[in-house]
Amino acid sequence: MMSLQHTDVPEIEVEDLVIRYGQVAAVGPVSFAVKQGEQLTLLGPSGCGKTTTLRSIAGLERPSGGAIRIRGETVYDAARGVNVAAERRGLSMVFQSYAIWPHMTVFENVAYGLRVRRAGAAEIREKVGNALDLVKMGAYADRNASQLSGGQQQRVALARACAFSPGVLLFDEPLSNLDAKLRAEMRIELRELQHRLGVTSVYVTHDLEEALAMSDNIIVMRGGHVEQEGSPGEIYNYPRTAFVADFVGSANLISGRLRPDLDRGGLVALETAGGIVVHGTPHGRVPGPDPTMSVRTVHLQLSAAAPAAAINVWPVVVSRSIFLGDLTQVHVDWGGRDLVIRQTAADTLKDGAAVYLSVDPGHCVLLESGAAGESESVARPLQQSALAALPTE
Amino acid sequence: MSSTALSRPLPRVSRLFPGQAVAMTAVIAVVAVFVLYPVYFLLQASLDVGAAGVRPPTAYGLGNFAAMADYWEIMLNTLGVTFAATALALVFGFLTAWTLTRTNVPFRGTLEQIMVVPYYVTPLLGALAWSLLGAPESGFVNQLWRRAGGESALIDMTSAWGIAWVMALFEGSVAFVMIGAVMKSMDPSLEEASQVIGAGRWRTMLRVTLPLVAPGVLGAAIFVFAEMLGSFSAALVLGTPARFYVITTAIYQFVSQYPPRISLAAAMGVSLFAVMFLMLYLYRRVTANRSFVTISGKAFRPRAMDVGWLRWVLFGVCLSYVLLSVVLPVATLVYASVQKLAVAFPTADNFTLENYRTALSLNAVRSAMSNSLLLGLLTATIGVVLTGLLSWIIQRSRLPGRGVLEYIVMFPQAVPRLVFAFGMMWAWLVFPIPIYGTFWVLLIAYLTVFLPLGVRTISSVLMQLDKSLDECGQVSGASWGYRLRTITVPLLRPGVLAAWLLIFVASVRELGASILLMGPDSKVLTPAIVEAFFSSSSELTAAMALIQTVVVGAAMVLFAAVTRRASRHGGT
Repeated sequence: MMSLQHTDVPEIEVEDLVIRYGQVAAVGPVSFAVKQGEQLTLLGPSGCGKTTTLRSIAGLERPSGGAIRIRGETVYDAARGVNVAAERRGLSMVFQSYAIWPHMTVFENVAYGLRVRRAGAAEIREKVGNALDLVKMGAYADRNASQLSGGQQQRVALARACAFSPGVLLFDEPLSNLDAKLRAEMRIELRELQHRLGVTSVYVTHDLEEALAMSDNIIVMRGGHVEQEGSPGEIYNYPRTAFVADFVGSANLISGRLRPDLDRGGLVALETAGGIVVHGTPHGRVPGPDPTMSVRTVHLQLSAAAPAAAINVWPVVVSRSIFLGDLTQVHVDWGGRDLVIRQTAADTLKDGAAVYLSVDPGHCVLLESGAAGESESVARPLQQSALAALPTE
Repeated sequence: MSSTALSRPLPRVSRLFPGQAVAMTAVIAVVAVFVLYPVYFLLQASLDVGAAGVRPPTAYGLGNFAAMADYWEIMLNTLGVTFAATALALVFGFLTAWTLTRTNVPFRGTLEQIMVVPYYVTPLLGALAWSLLGAPESGFVNQLWRRAGGESALIDMTSAWGIAWVMALFEGSVAFVMIGAVMKSMDPSLEEASQVIGAGRWRTMLRVTLPLVAPGVLGAAIFVFAEMLGSFSAALVLGTPARFYVITTAIYQFVSQYPPRISLAAAMGVSLFAVMFLMLYLYRRVTANRSFVTISGKAFRPRAMDVGWLRWVLFGVCLSYVLLSVVLPVATLVYASVQKLAVAFPTADNFTLENYRTALSLNAVRSAMSNSLLLGLLTATIGVVLTGLLSWIIQRSRLPGRGVLEYIVMFPQAVPRLVFAFGMMWAWLVFPIPIYGTFWVLLIAYLTVFLPLGVRTISSVLMQLDKSLDECGQVSGASWGYRLRTITVPLLRPGVLAAWLLIFVASVRELGASILLMGPDSKVLTPAIVEAFFSSSSELTAAMALIQTVVVGAAMVLFAAVTRRASRHGGT
C-alpha cells in the first residue's frame, strides 16, 4: 500500500480466530483487520458469531484458537498462550443493554474509566463535561442514572465509553433496544461522532440499514464464518453469495445454465429453466456448475411501453400488487416463476396487467461458484448447533 | 485523537497481586474443607465395624447398616410422623394458597402477609407451647377438658400425631409459599380459554387449573417431606420425654448416651442423608422439568373467583391456621412464663415475673445468650463475604468445575444439621488444632450449615444483575477488586443485607448442630432452652424462649431500620 504511514499498521488484527463451545465451533476461523480510524461493522443474523467475535476482541470471551493484536500488541495468541485480561486491553465498549450503573449518577458513570486511570479531579471534571456535551447530556450530570430514559441511557453509555479517550471503541448492538425512530436518529449521531473523534471502531448489528449507514467496511457473517467483506456499496451491489444477497436487502435469485455463446461486451448470459436469457455482470467471478444471479427487487423496472434496450427486456403479466407505503411490491409471472419488484411508483398496477420488465445488466450480479450450495449445507447446521450449545454455557 | 489512552498506562499493581485468583482459591479451599472433611468422617464412622473407640477404624463393613434393622420401630415412627405431617402441611398450604390467590376472600392482602409469620415461629417454640397445651396430664387443654367433665386426656401432644401436628403447623407456611407461587404465576388466560370454549367454573378448575398446578404441588410435597424427615426439635421436645423416637432424635440419643453408639448413629445419619438427597434430587427434577409453561413473563394477578358465602368459611380457615400456629403458641408461652406453676386457671397469687428475672440473671443463660449473639454476628458477617464470593464464582466466573463447587456448597442442605454436626464432631475431634468443644467449632459449623442459605439468597440477586454491568467496568480498565468494590458489591447490597439477616437469625436460633457441638464453656441459647425444658421448669423455659424471640425480633427491626437508612443515604 502506498498510503499514509499510520494506516500501515492495522489498529486491530484478528487472525484465524476460532471459538468453540465444547466440540461445537461457534466462530471461525475468521480473519480481518481494522485500520486506524476505520469503522468496521460485523453484520449477520443472530447466532452468526458476530457478538462472540466482538467479545473476544474485548477480552470478555476466551477464544479457542488464533490470535488478536491491538496496535501491533498481541492481546491473544493461542499458540503462545497469551490472553491479556479485558481490563488491560485499553479498549472501550458500548453494550447492548447500555450497562448503566444504577447506583451512580450520570457523572460518576462517565467518570469511571478516568477514575480507574487515576486522573486528577480537574481532568475528570473537564473530560466528563466534554463527553457529556458531546452526547448532549451535559444538563443531566447530577441525575441519578436510574432515572434516565432508554435513549438518554444510550447517550450516557456512549459518553462513558469515549470519556477516557480510548483508541478503539466496540459497539455491541447499541441501538437494538431503542424504538425505530430514535434508532434512526442515533444512527446518524453515532456516525457523526465517530467521524469527529476519528476513533477506530468495531460495530456489531443485525440491522442492515444501520450497517450500511455507519460503516466504512462491512463483514457479513454467517454460521461463524465470514460470508463477504467489503464497503457498504460493494456488499449491497455485488453480493458474493445467495445468503448475502438475501440478507442484505431483498433480492431475486435466478438460476440456470450459462450460455457463453450469447456473452457480449463483458457480460455473461444465463438461461433459466423457463428458457429466458438474462445478461449480467460476472464481477470477476468464476461461474460454477450451478450458476446463479442476484437481482435486487428495487433494480427491476416495470413499464407499460417496451423500453428501447436490446437485452434484459421481457413482457410479463402482473400477478399481484401490494401497497407497502413508501414502496409498492409487485409480483409478476416471469416465464413460469414469480419475480418480485419493489418500486416507488404510486400508481398500483392492476392484477393481470401486461407490462414490460427490464433491468440494467450491471445490476444482475453473478454469485460466486458453489457459494449458495456451501452455505446451505454447511453453514446452517453449524450455526444451529452453535446456538444449541449456548444455553449450557 | 489517537493514543492518549496509552500515554497513561493502567495501574500495574493488580498484576503483581492477582487478587481474584487468591480470593477464589482460598474460598474454594475453605469450603471444600468445611463441607467434605466432616462428610468423609461421617462415612468412615458409618462403615466402622472394628473395635469400638479405636480410630482410625480397624475394620470396615456394612454391619452398622444391617444393625439398623433392629430399630425398625424408629423407622416406622419416622415414616408415620413424616407422612402425617406432610399431608397436614399440604392441606394447610394448598387450602390457604388457593384461598388467598384465587378467591375473593376478605382481607386477602393482610392475610397473605400474615401467612408467612408461622415460619418465623420456629418448630421449637411451637413444640414448647403445644407441650404446655397438650401434655396428657398437665396440658392446659386437657385440664380444661377434665374440668368440663371429660375423661383422661383430650389430646396427647407427645404422640406421633402431636409431633406431626406441630411440624405441620410450621411447614404449612412453607407449603403455602411454594404452592402460592405456582398459583400466582399461572396465566389466567389458560383458564379463560377453557371458559370461553364453554366449560363451567368447576369443570375448568378440575380439568385446567389442577393439572397445571399439580407439578408445583408435587414439588412442594417432596420438599416438605424431605425437610420433615430431617427435622429435630419438635420430636426432641415432645417425643423424647415419652420415649417416642424418630430417626433424628434417635441419632442424638445414640451419640449423647453413655456409652455412645457412634457407628450406628453414623449409619442412620448416612441413610437419612441418602433418602433426603434422593428427595431433593426428585424435587429438582419435578420443578426443573415442568413441561407446563405457567410463567409467561407478563404481569398479571390471577382472577379471583367469587365463591359467595363460602368466602367467610375460607376466611375462617386461614384465620384459624394463623391462630393455631402463631397466636395460640405465643400467647401460651407468655401466659406460662408469668406463672409460678403453669396451670390453665389463672389466680392472682400464681402470678410472677420471677421467671424472667431468673432467666436474665442466671450466669449460664447470660453467657449462652451473649455467645449466641456473638456467633450470630460473626457467622453472618463472615458468612456473607464467603457466600458472596461463592455466589460470584458459581454464577459469574468461568472457572472449570464451578458446577461441582455448587454441589458441594449446596450439600449441607440435604443433610440434617444434626447429622452434619455429628460428622463435624467426629472430624474435629481428631483435628490437630484443639478446637473441639470451643466457640470456634460452632462458628465453623454455622458457617458450613448456612452456606446454602447465603448462597441461595445472594445468587438470586446476582442472577438478576445484568452481566454487562461488570463487563463494562472491565473494559473500562478496572481490575477485579476495583470492580467488586465499585460495582458488584454496591449493586448486590440488598441481597447481601438480606443474607446477613437470614444467617444471623438462623444462627441465633440454631439447635441441631449446636446441641452436639457446644462445649461446657461455649453454651448457646437454643440448646440451653431445651436443656431448661428437660431439667428445670417449663415456666422458665417459656420465659427464655420468649426472650430469644424478642431478641431476634429486635435485631430484625433494628436491622431493617439501619438498612432503610443506608439505602436512603447511599444513593450514590
